Order: sequence, then C-alpha cells, then structure tokens
Amino acid sequence: MSWLRRVAAYFPTVVLARRNLSRATARSLLAIAAVVIGVVAIGTIGMGGEAFKQDQMEAFEGFGGTATVYPVYHHDGSGSINGDFSRQNINRMRQVTDGTTVLPIVERWDTLVQTPTGEVIITAQVKGLDNPGSFYDAQSGTIPDNWKRSAIVGSRIAENNDIQPGDRITVSVNGSFTRKFSVAAVLEPQGFADQLRADRTVFVPLDEFDDPEYDSAIVRVDPTTTSVDAATESIESEFNTRERNVYVQKVQEQREGFEKTFETINQFLIGVGSISLLVAAVTIANTMLMSAIEREREIGVMRAVGYPKRAVVSLLVAESSILGIIGSMVGVPLALGIGMVLNQVLLGDPLAFTAAGLRYVAIGAVFGIGTSLLAGVYPAWKAAKKQPVEALD
Amino acid sequence: MAPDISAPAETDQPGADREEDRQSPRDAGNDVIIRGESVVKEYQTGAQTVQALKGIDFSIQPSDFVAIVGPSGSGKSTLLNLLGLLDVPTRGTVRLRGTDVSTFSDGDRTTKRKHTIGFVFQSFYLIPTLTALENVEMPRMLDRTPKKTRERAKQLLRRVGLGDRLDHYPDELSGGQKQRVAIARSLINDPAILLADEPTGNLDRETGDDILELFDELRAEENVAVVTVTHDAYVAEEADRVVNLVDGEITDADEAESNGVVEQ
Ligand SMILES: Nc1ncnc2c1ncn2[C@@H]1O[C@H](COP(=O)(O)OP(=O)(O)OP(=O)(O)O)[C@@H](O)[C@H]1O
Ligand SMILES: [Mg+2]
Repeated sequence: MSWLRRVAAYFPTVVLARRNLSRATARSLLAIAAVVIGVVAIGTIGMGGEAFKQDQMEAFEGFGGTATVYPVYHHDGSGSINGDFSRQNINRMRQVTDGTTVLPIVERWDTLVQTPTGEVIITAQVKGLDNPGSFYDAQSGTIPDNWKRSAIVGSRIAENNDIQPGDRITVSVNGSFTRKFSVAAVLEPQGFADQLRADRTVFVPLDEFDDPEYDSAIVRVDPTTTSVDAATESIESEFNTRERNVYVQKVQEQREGFEKTFETINQFLIGVGSISLLVAAVTIANTMLMSAIEREREIGVMRAVGYPKRAVVSLLVAESSILGIIGSMVGVPLALGIGMVLNQVLLGDPLAFTAAGLRYVAIGAVFGIGTSLLAGVYPAWKAAKKQPVEALD
Repeated sequence: MAPDISAPAETDQPGADREEDRQSPRDAGNDVIIRGESVVKEYQTGAQTVQALKGIDFSIQPSDFVAIVGPSGSGKSTLLNLLGLLDVPTRGTVRLRGTDVSTFSDGDRTTKRKHTIGFVFQSFYLIPTLTALENVEMPRMLDRTPKKTRERAKQLLRRVGLGDRLDHYPDELSGGQKQRVAIARSLINDPAILLADEPTGNLDRETGDDILELFDELRAEENVAVVTVTHDAYVAEEADRVVNLVDGEITDADEAESNGVVEQ
C-alpha cells in the first residue's frame, strides 16, 4: 500500500480530487449513477440493435449469390398484356450467363391447397419449380433428385397445418389441374430474405403445368467464387435492348437496404440514449457547482498560498472526470452483461458480440468520460475566477 | 537543525524607471520586503465609493513583528490583503522588494505570494479531507518534490509541537493545534513574511500566548517578518511596532510602545 501512496504523491491533483469526492459520498455516487445510466443506455441500445440486426441479417445468409429476374409488362395496344418468360427466354438467359443456374418459376394465385382432411390452407402459395434441391434443404423427408408427381411444402405451411412427409395434399390450379400430391419433403425455414417465400409455399414440379409461361426466373451463382452481378448484367443487356423487358432484383441489394434501415433506426435510438448522458452531464455540472461553492474558502486559501487558476481548474475538472471514469468503469461491465443477455435471446450465444456492437459500448464509455469532463469545466472556471480576497471574506 | 531558510533575494525588475523607482536602491539597501507609499484602497459598492485606506505608508523588514490594530471596519484586513498581494491598491504604490506590484499579472502575484508570503487566518481554513501533515504540504503539493516537501512538513509540524499529530485530520485537532498546523502550512515555502489576520481571535488567552511565542521563535530562527492584525491587547504588547488604523488612516505608527492606543 505504501508504494501506492508514493506513486499517488506524484499525482497530487488526483489525490486531492479523490479526497474531495469522498467528502460528499452520496452526492458523488448519485452523479456516478447518472453516468452509469447514460453509458449503459448507449452501450446496450447500440449492442442490442446490432444483435437484432445480426439476427435479422442471418436470414440473408445463403442467398448472397441470388437474384430474381422478372418480366416487365407492356401494353401492346391490342388490349392484352404480354409478358411472362417463355422457355425460349429462359434458354437465352442460360446462354448469356454461361452456365449459371437459371431456375424458371411459375407462380399462380388462382389456386387452392387442401390438407389431407380437406381443410383449405388459404395462406399457401403454389409455385412450379424444377430441382428445388439446388436451393433448399429438407427439414424432414427428402427432396428427390428427379422430382415428379409429389409436392414439397414450406416450413410454415407444414407447421401450421401439421403436414408431414407422406401426407397427401390436394392442389388445384384454376385452368390447369386438380390433383392429390404426396408430400416428399418439408423444407427448412428460410426466413424473409428468401425471394420465393418458400416458407409459405407449396412447390410442385414445373411439368404439372402444361405449356408453362414463367412468371420469374431465379439466377444463382456460388457467391464465394463469382458475383451475381456479372450474370444479371448479361441478362439485362441481352433483354433490355430497345425497351426494358426484364427487371432484376438482387438479394444483396435488398440486404443492403435492410442494413441501412437498421442503422438509421439504431442511430435514432442511440440518440435517444444519449439524452441520458446529457442529463448525466447536467447532474455532474450541478454536483461540481455545489461542491465548488461549498469549498469557496478552501479554494480561496489554495489560491492565496500560490495555486494558480489553472491548478484550481485542473482540480475540479479532475473531480468531474473521476466521476465520469468511475461511471464508465461501472457502466461498461453492466452494459456488457446486458449485452450477453441480448445476445443469448437474439442470437443464441451470449458471447456473440460484434465489433460494431462493442464499438457502441466504447463510444458510451468515451462519451461518459468526455461529457463529465466538459461538465466540470464551467464550475471549475467559475471557482478559479473567484478572487481569493472575495472568497476569504 | 533547520536548513538555511533565509529568503532568496529577488532581483528588481529591470526597465521600470518611473519616478518612484528611485526609491528602489534604498529599499534594497534596507532589505525592505514590502513597502507602501500613499496607499489608497477604494471599494465601489453601487454608486457609493468606500475609501478603506486613505493614503498610508508602511514598510516591512525581515524579522519585524508588526501588529495592526484598530476598530472594526478601519481597514486592517484591507491593508493585510495588499501586503499579501491578494489585492492591488487603487492609488499609490506597493512594492515587493522594490518592484511595483501593479506591474504584476494575476499569475505573477500568485507566484510571488507562493514564494514570499505565508498566510494565517482567524478561522484556520485547513482542508478537512487532508491530514495535518498533508495540510502543511498543501501549498507545495503541485511541486513534484513530494519527498522534500514531506520532510520539510514533518520538520515544521515538529517545530510547532505537533510531531505526534501528523496523521490527524483537522476535526481531530483542537483550535490551538489547528492554528499551529496553519502556521506550519504558512511556512512550508520559507516565506519572508507571515501575514496573520487575527490568528488568536478564535483561541483562548493561553493558547494565544503559545502562538505568540511560536511567532517569536520563528522570527528568531527563520528570519520571517510577522504582520498580524489583532484585537487582542496582549498580542499588540508583544509587537515591535503597532500600526493603529482608524478609519483608513494611521493615527500612531511609532516604533515605541503604543499601549495607550491598543487599550481602546
Ligand atoms: N469587498 C468590499 N467591498 C466593499 N467594501 C468593502 C469590501 N471589503 C471591505 N470593505 C469596506 O472597507 C472598509 C474596511 O474593511 P476591512 O475589512 O479592512 O475592515 P477591518 O478593519 O478588517 O474590520 P474587522 O476588524 O471587522 O475585520 C469597511 O468599511 C468595509 O465595509
Ligand atoms: Mg478584518
């Protein structure tokens, strides 16, 4: 302990500041509590927002190299609307993208899906697709390699209607077919980022639709080796020659849009959290002002015996900074603790901290100390400005 | 026992050659620490001007023991503040070792105070969060010489008879002990002059006598001049010189015993 005293003797301002703070313990603790609240608010809002974003962004995982190509409908003057991709269109896409997976999709709305007991599943969409195994994994059952005459059901539909592989469901498509299908597989949940919305879809083989017109096509590359951009650019330059005939939506762009939205919301929330640090600053300024007034004579004596103004300013700013430092030292572990709970709830791993999330904790701590320091400046300046003669009257 | 604590001679500031400065060589020759000439101090309160000092002359030399007496409101504290460089005169000059203090900036005055002047107050003004020893060290705490300061502070506390109270906090000390700590504090920077505003005012006669005795010893041993404002006749009796202030003017500043004046 004595070495500590010896070291402390070289930082007299800090020693004096600490002693002064311990003089009004309750007041100092309240000021510290205000800083703690501010630091925790900024830290946890930032970290929680990041964890929430992370959680939502996980839905985009696996869809990185995916884009959907939609036809653009034009009024041709004769009253009918042309559009929809033909088999030929799809083949052209395959050619220009040089072997990229292009999956044509038929999407029909005038459909009816019934459970084995005959109940109508109104939320179900029916889509025609070849080779869903190249896209999705089965949660139960198996996706056949050469898929014919069975249905593959999205996770949400299966869950809500208690459908298992082997069950027989009825699918009717107005004007095309009404048929019973055996369920071959139930898919893994895909989340909102899946452009086909597989969770709410009953997939049937494309062959079920005779003479199909395709409503869209999915373009897919391996995102680890190539960018989907090259493929979509080729398609756009192939089809959008004289007029715009196709419209491409990339999951990546959607994802970026999402990320931006989250960031904006998060920043707004942190702004709200920062108000608590502002309140902390006011509390500290008030604490320091009171303390400076109480110690007016003492400060007067210090000035009289040769302490320059700047020493008085340093002393009081050191005091307010110590409040901020202690507040941050308490606030950071608290914020991290709450962050662990949030991580557990949202991401299933208490230690799933992100760099961005931790950055907010650091920002909270730095701001906690910074605002405390600034809050001390005015009272300090006021105290130092006082002439010792006036203070000692 | 004590190291050499004779005050270091401060050189006159060159360049100042106004008329009054012709006095400087004489000051230096006489070893005058502080001298005042036709010192006027006015306070402005609203539209009213109070003349607290109405043109007085004074000089303090090493080992002087000067008592300032006079009725309340006569300007005693005002005079002491001027001697202590806590304030500057409205008119007239106060010279510290020949240099006009009005040429000093606020920062200069602070530095001069630190190295030349020790203060003792009626209500001691010790810092309650610091021990006796730390209170004595306080004026030198920012000097980054903690070992030297500590040695000197211990020595001074032993000197004032508080060698066994080093780690006591002010509220664990009696009034007389607090004042002795304050005196030790005022001596930590080896001042040339010790200014005391009613140092015995809060003490009983016996304790006050102890303090006076201490002043005498310090003057003899450390060559400090002591200037004290007092209401206590026995304090004035001990002084070499009594400055009697009445309404901002010195009525009788003879070197001789001026007991008559003190027994007002
Ligand atoms: N800051 C000030 N503003 C205005 N007037 C002041 C101020 N300080 C002192 N005075 C006036 O100057 C005069 C001298 O005051 P001073 O404090 O020197 O008296 P004093 O002799 O020390 O009195 P006491 O024995 O009561 O301490 C008084 O009339 C007082 O009202
Ligand atoms: Mg007075």
